[in-house]
Amino acid sequence: MESYVGKNIPRNDGYDKATGRGKFTHDIFLPHMLYAKVLRSPYAHAKVTSIDTSEAEKLKGVRAVCTFENTTNKLFNTSASVVTTNPGAEPVRDQTVFTGEPKYIGDEIAAVAADTEKIAEEAVKLIKVEYEELPYVLDPLEALKDDAPDVQPELAHKKNICGEVIEINFGDVKEGFEEAEEVVEAFVKLPRVKQAQMETHAAVASYKGDGTLEVYSTTQTPHPTKMIIAYTFDLPESKVHVKNPPYVGGGFGVRIGISGKAEIIATALTLKAKRPVKYVYTREEDFIASDTRHGGYLKGRLGAKKDGTFVALDTTAWLNTGAYATFGVELLGVCGACGTAGTYHVPNLHYSGYPVYTNQQTAGAFRGFGTPQGTFIVETLVDAMAKKLGMDPIELRKMNTMREEDKNWFPFSVGSVGINECLDRAAEEIGWKEKRGKCKEGKIRRGVGIACGTHVSNAAPFCVDYNAVTLRIEQDGSMVVQSGIPEIGPGSTTALLQVTADEMGIDFDKITMQYGDTKAGPFDIGSHATRTLYTVSQVIDKAAKKLKADIFDYTAELMKMEREGMKLEGGVITSGEKSISIKALAYEAHLRGKQFIVSECLVPPNSLPWYAQAAEVEVDMETGMVKVLKVAAAHDVGKVVNPRLAEGQIEGGVIQGVGYACREEMTYVDNKGFYNNGFHKYMLPTADDVPEIVPILVESNDPKGIYGIKGIGEVGVCPTAPAIVSAVEDATGIRFYEIPMTPGRVLKAIKEKEKA
Amino acid sequence: MSEILKCIINDEEIEALVDPDMRLVDFLRERMQLTGTKIGCKKGECGACTIIMDGKAVNSCMVPVMRASGSVIQTIEGVEKNGRLHIIQEEFINKGAIQCGFCTPGMIMSSKALLDKNPSPTSDEVKEALGGNICRCTGYRKIEEAVLSAAKRLREEV
Repeated sequence: MESYVGKNIPRNDGYDKATGRGKFTHDIFLPHMLYAKVLRSPYAHAKVTSIDTSEAEKLKGVRAVCTFENTTNKLFNTSASVVTTNPGAEPVRDQTVFTGEPKYIGDEIAAVAADTEKIAEEAVKLIKVEYEELPYVLDPLEALKDDAPDVQPELAHKKNICGEVIEINFGDVKEGFEEAEEVVEAFVKLPRVKQAQMETHAAVASYKGDGTLEVYSTTQTPHPTKMIIAYTFDLPESKVHVKNPPYVGGGFGVRIGISGKAEIIATALTLKAKRPVKYVYTREEDFIASDTRHGGYLKGRLGAKKDGTFVALDTTAWLNTGAYATFGVELLGVCGACGTAGTYHVPNLHYSGYPVYTNQQTAGAFRGFGTPQGTFIVETLVDAMAKKLGMDPIELRKMNTMREEDKNWFPFSVGSVGINECLDRAAEEIGWKEKRGKCKEGKIRRGVGIACGTHVSNAAPFCVDYNAVTLRIEQDGSMVVQSGIPEIGPGSTTALLQVTADEMGIDFDKITMQYGDTKAGPFDIGSHATRTLYTVSQVIDKAAKKLKADIFDYTAELMKMEREGMKLEGGVITSGEKSISIKALAYEAHLRGKQFIVSECLVPPNSLPWYAQAAEVEVDMETGMVKVLKVAAAHDVGKVVNPRLAEGQIEGGVIQGVGYACREEMTYVDNKGFYNNGFHKYMLPTADDVPEIVPILVESNDPKGIYGIKGIGEVGVCPTAPAIVSAVEDATGIRFYEIPMTPGRVLKAIKEKEKA
Repeated sequence: MSEILKCIINDEEIEALVDPDMRLVDFLRERMQLTGTKIGCKKGECGACTIIMDGKAVNSCMVPVMRASGSVIQTIEGVEKNGRLHIIQEEFINKGAIQCGFCTPGMIMSSKALLDKNPSPTSDEVKEALGGNICRCTGYRKIEEAVLSAAKRLREEV
């Protein structure tokens, strides 16, 4: 039988996307639709002393004006964490739709819905607001000091701590350091960076007098978004319909839950106007008023025996979560669990993670979700230890990486581990032996570096994580998969159909998937956490087995065929000498009032994907310019369902990592807010900056996922920055403890080294 | 105040009463319902709104609508002919050059403007032609591969 898993099947949305016929939320225009614009705070912290909307309301074409005075002030959280926090723990609810006490430059005060965008914009300017400025704090370390202003005085756990301080303990770290023969330390500073997905946050919300609400949205999680909207506005979830239209112009984590506040603001306005309301973030709003990657500080100590065996690791992260939690708490957990505790078998380890409130825009989920930050500090320490011990950095890593039999901190088994193979293959591809540590001289200097690590394949058991699907056979034997899972770009829905086709024995082109819609399928937690293919393939597997059993039972009885040994392959059911096509059977069943239809629900296990990336760079010692020449990206993602799509995930992640290491940075200007309010002020990599990328797929056979599948979505970005930092050190002899390595920063370090 | 815009869009003569303050991209998307042309920034910085105007790839968000008077415009909707994909579109699909798809129409229009003029571009020429188009998903390599492969196929077809 032909197998679809493992093949480069072209993506099923290719036609729609190549022709411009596929719809995104930006492309939704409903009859009688209004356009929204938002009034945002110009102050980092203030109290609104008066607000007057009368002039705005009088403007012709204005249909609704919402403020904190006439809109619900129920506390919620824009991130899905508010509906995925495990039983027993309380999610952080620290935001309202609009606020009378803005906590960052960009915080939402009011919004207008009008006949055109232009009128709405004009009306926003007519809203008169008087503010009383309040003290503010911008830096997470400053915010922890006793005399710092309180960002969330009523909700903070203790001084500006959002939720709780995350603690991870394994073994006894104090004893571990007593045992250590060599100890290295490091302190690093990491930037805020922006997802910069191509479609800005957007929603079209339409509330009708019959109590139903329909919301087109850019969310990565339609069902949780439905829950957040229903909760905030006290609507029954059954009356709230959230859907992608069906395409989403990227995500990278920024819309796990609400997209910025697009859905919630559009809903507030449609509830008032009783007409459809479209709210599309400008690129500036997207940059300055929605989640970023967490910036901040991490420090660490690593202790080892003289032979290189790691015995103790102690790390602390203080990350800037901004004015509201969003994913602050969970992200600090992943930073510790995957970033610092996941990669190496260290018998004694400790991690503290501080999610710190400040008066800046929120930081939340961005591909990697804390793992890039944790990996950065650990890989910095491991390189330092290799230097101290005089060992090859790869050999030191390989002797300490997690093994299948190791007990680890995670509440699940290690599973298959391909990390050492990743290290070997990345090293070979980059030419490690010939290039590393060679004497560097002259204006242009080359170097190679490496970094490795792990992540997860979903959020279980740390957060609520499950999927349900419905599978059904149409009356002509073709098949429909219904799932709430969105397609945010990776091609997950294509890969899932490849799995379905193999599971069912029905041709790929006879199967259709409905997705990204709360009415398309039963509950689904959404596309995030590297989970889509890994978890949805498992629930499809479970449902397909049940569906086939139903088909076989029915066939055995109707066709008088032997049930034992019955097979469905290539669309044909066979048993012994007898056979019938699924097409004929489905129609025969239809004539007798029977459709084959199954729903299943599953909490997935979790598997660890592993990776190592080796980078080669060129540093111009006169200009400070770092040019990344090549990245060899070796990834153990278990069984590869579609190699071309998998490569796309890795290449896209690597480029984001190159940006993180060398270019991208959100820069805050006091009293003005973030400088980076558009693409021209935020240095994204372009086609011209792309190094040679060699994706290397290492297929360890994971025992937990079906076919040995593990997750892939986030891992491409995780080790890139520390690998590039390591390569720059190899080239220049200078270790950078702060990124991005912009020409200015690099040149300054070169001059300081020359002086010394 | 409204003015009359006359131009050719996707081989069809258009005459429309427009607000001259409007940008061409809004006219295309909202008046002509040609929503394949996307808006990523509305400041001429991302290329998502790229169309071909009089043979050149331009950011339609930067064009005041009346500047389109008398011009010949092609949008992504005009690239597919009678349900048959253009070779560039096919290669974008085949080579994995599409992920979220939001930059794709702009990328294809920039690529087409290049290949219409230069059937044998070098890798550097492709990168230069796509220099104004931002993609955050793919890492660009598969896009470059798709354009070079489409160029090859187009040459073979001739």
